[in-house]
Amino acid sequence: MKKLATLAFLLTASAAMAKTDITYLMWGSPQEAEAWKVVVAGFEAAHPDIKVTVEVADWDSYWEKLRVQFAGGTPPDVFAMDAPLYMDWQSRSVLLNLQPYLDKEPTILDGVYPATLTAYKMADGYYGLPRDFQTIVMYYNKDMFDAAGVAYPTDTWTWDDLRAAAKKLTVDKNGDGTVDQWGFWDGGYDMEPFWGALVWSYGGDVVKDGKTLIASPEATAAFQFFADMRVTDKSMPTEQQLAAFGWDGFLSGVAAMGLSGHWSIPEYSGVAFKWDIAPLPLGPKGRATSVNSAGFVIAKDSKNPDAAWEFVKYAFSDAGQTELAKIGLAIPVRKSVAESAAYLDQATKIDHSLYVKALDYAHVKPVFKGYDEWSAAVGDALHMIWTGEMSVEDGLAEAVAGGDEALAKNQ
Amino acid sequence: MERWWVLAFLAPTLVGLLLGTFGSIFATVGISFTDWDLLTPAKFAGVSNYVGLPSDRLFMKSLWNTLAFSGLYVPFTVALSLLVAMGLNRDIPGISLFRTAYFLPTVSSPTAVGLLWTWIYAEDHGALNAMITAVGGDPVSWLGPKVALYSIVIVNVWGAIGGGMIIFLAGLQAIPKEYYEVARIDGASVWQRLAYVTIPALAPSIFFQTVLTTINAFQAFDYIYILTRIGNGNSTMPTLVFSIYRSGFRFFRMGDATAQAVVLTGIILALTLVYFRLQKRWGEQA
Repeated sequence: MKKLATLAFLLTASAAMAKTDITYLMWGSPQEAEAWKVVVAGFEAAHPDIKVTVEVADWDSYWEKLRVQFAGGTPPDVFAMDAPLYMDWQSRSVLLNLQPYLDKEPTILDGVYPATLTAYKMADGYYGLPRDFQTIVMYYNKDMFDAAGVAYPTDTWTWDDLRAAAKKLTVDKNGDGTVDQWGFWDGGYDMEPFWGALVWSYGGDVVKDGKTLIASPEATAAFQFFADMRVTDKSMPTEQQLAAFGWDGFLSGVAAMGLSGHWSIPEYSGVAFKWDIAPLPLGPKGRATSVNSAGFVIAKDSKNPDAAWEFVKYAFSDAGQTELAKIGLAIPVRKSVAESAAYLDQATKIDHSLYVKALDYAHVKPVFKGYDEWSAAVGDALHMIWTGEMSVEDGLAEAVAGGDEALAKNQ
Repeated sequence: MERWWVLAFLAPTLVGLLLGTFGSIFATVGISFTDWDLLTPAKFAGVSNYVGLPSDRLFMKSLWNTLAFSGLYVPFTVALSLLVAMGLNRDIPGISLFRTAYFLPTVSSPTAVGLLWTWIYAEDHGALNAMITAVGGDPVSWLGPKVALYSIVIVNVWGAIGGGMIIFLAGLQAIPKEYYEVARIDGASVWQRLAYVTIPALAPSIFFQTVLTTINAFQAFDYIYILTRIGNGNSTMPTLVFSIYRSGFRFFRMGDATAQAVVLTGIILALTLVYFRLQKRWGEQA
């Protein structure tokens, strides 16, 4: 009997020691991966039998790495997903349907912002869950506004107010005949952060039922506004001008205003100037912004789907979301956490609730198969408007043709 | 017996060549007849990937860019490296310093050099525009839509002169000095010596260098991408290689990407055959 007990003890002990290894691959900086270790430590404390390895790659190489790992038959167990690209992966049957797990946790989706969930819901269940989300707000450089004697943006600002302010904030500070400070900056390729919100606030739409809608009269007016600022007023730096300072004009201190998500805060917290945030200005049809989420997905071929699910469940829980909120990059998907001190009271003292309030007027960034290809085709055409090679009408016609071609190829 | 030993020693290279090079060539051609997204099993697609290429606007744009680029790059690279080689083919003190200077771009990292050129070409604080404005000119948008092609060709030619120069220097030094002596005695001018001695004697090197430069032109990527990339990871001057990469690794269309690669190979092959034909004819005349 005693022997048997010893044997039983040994068996349990060795089972506990035989840890299940899972890999979590995400895009981001090495610092982000480091920050994630706090989340992982919390998880491993609760699940001593599972060991999570966090791997990180920058945005561009992340998607290549993922494809190569899948093609080689060694996908990561859990990996990060950008909601617009979700369909590209989901439609190719490489993601695990999480519905069986969700069915066992009937309350797990309670208190999660619906706008963050819609992207992942398929007819037969969820193939992913949101990890965190981003809404777009305006960042402005207070020092530049003070120097130019321009009043700070308010929540009654319209796009025309922004345009007028941007003109005043575009100056040649050292008097060498070359502008060295611009009022506003945006790259103008992807619909996030700027032009998607602009089109919506003008009453237009971007994509619907496999058609690119950005040449509608409403959308054309929105792009005309963008072109007026960039090409006519020149209150926005060109691609080449920006390249000389690094891509982010706000971060490098050459643009007084810029649009971005919460992800910019850790970077912006290190700048030498004073800044604050404001909601996006009002358009003819009200206020709009975009909301987009990053999510977790599990590879269908994961050897340890149960362990992978446990990890996702933890990171999706109040405890996990609280740890994630402290990283300071994104907004937690749970209302309880987004309204708690863990999120609202961060090291960078700005009104973090503004990002959550933006959900009231935010549009979900479209999710469809072939997003990347569509975005490239549209962005390439729009670029020709920004360089002055094409008129707004011609550029939009080209963008719609290229965009629709990309959509047709990805049916 | 000895023959077997030779084969045994060559085996590592031969196997590598067979599996690596030929294997991937056959695989590329094979994949080009399928629809494959890297994630799900490939489906046979016949020639549809090839048929679809002319209506693929990203591919067509990069094809035209590559043709325009090659049309300028190949003649300028061959002519200028020949010129530099002739200039440096003499015994003057410090000649190796000059040769090294011209060869440096060849051994430098394209990324580092590309970034240096971005600074030279920058619109507002760039070195080139600083010089132009200093003498009262208007700044030029070097990488803007109007002149980007020429700016890009300049960088690539600059980067390739060193490699071509080495080939031509070797060719020039192989020409017996007696030829020039005889030509001079016969009263041939500098131009006549160039046209009737140097060029014909260098024909094999020129041919070789033209083929090599053409291959490089159609495969050009690094400098062009670094100088013309835009915020969304694309390029204002996409080249064929960029299009292949983008179709396959970003747009989940490996079949299209490999079809583009096969077309690229076809173009290079066709041009090389034309060169061979020309060389043969030229060789018969000389």
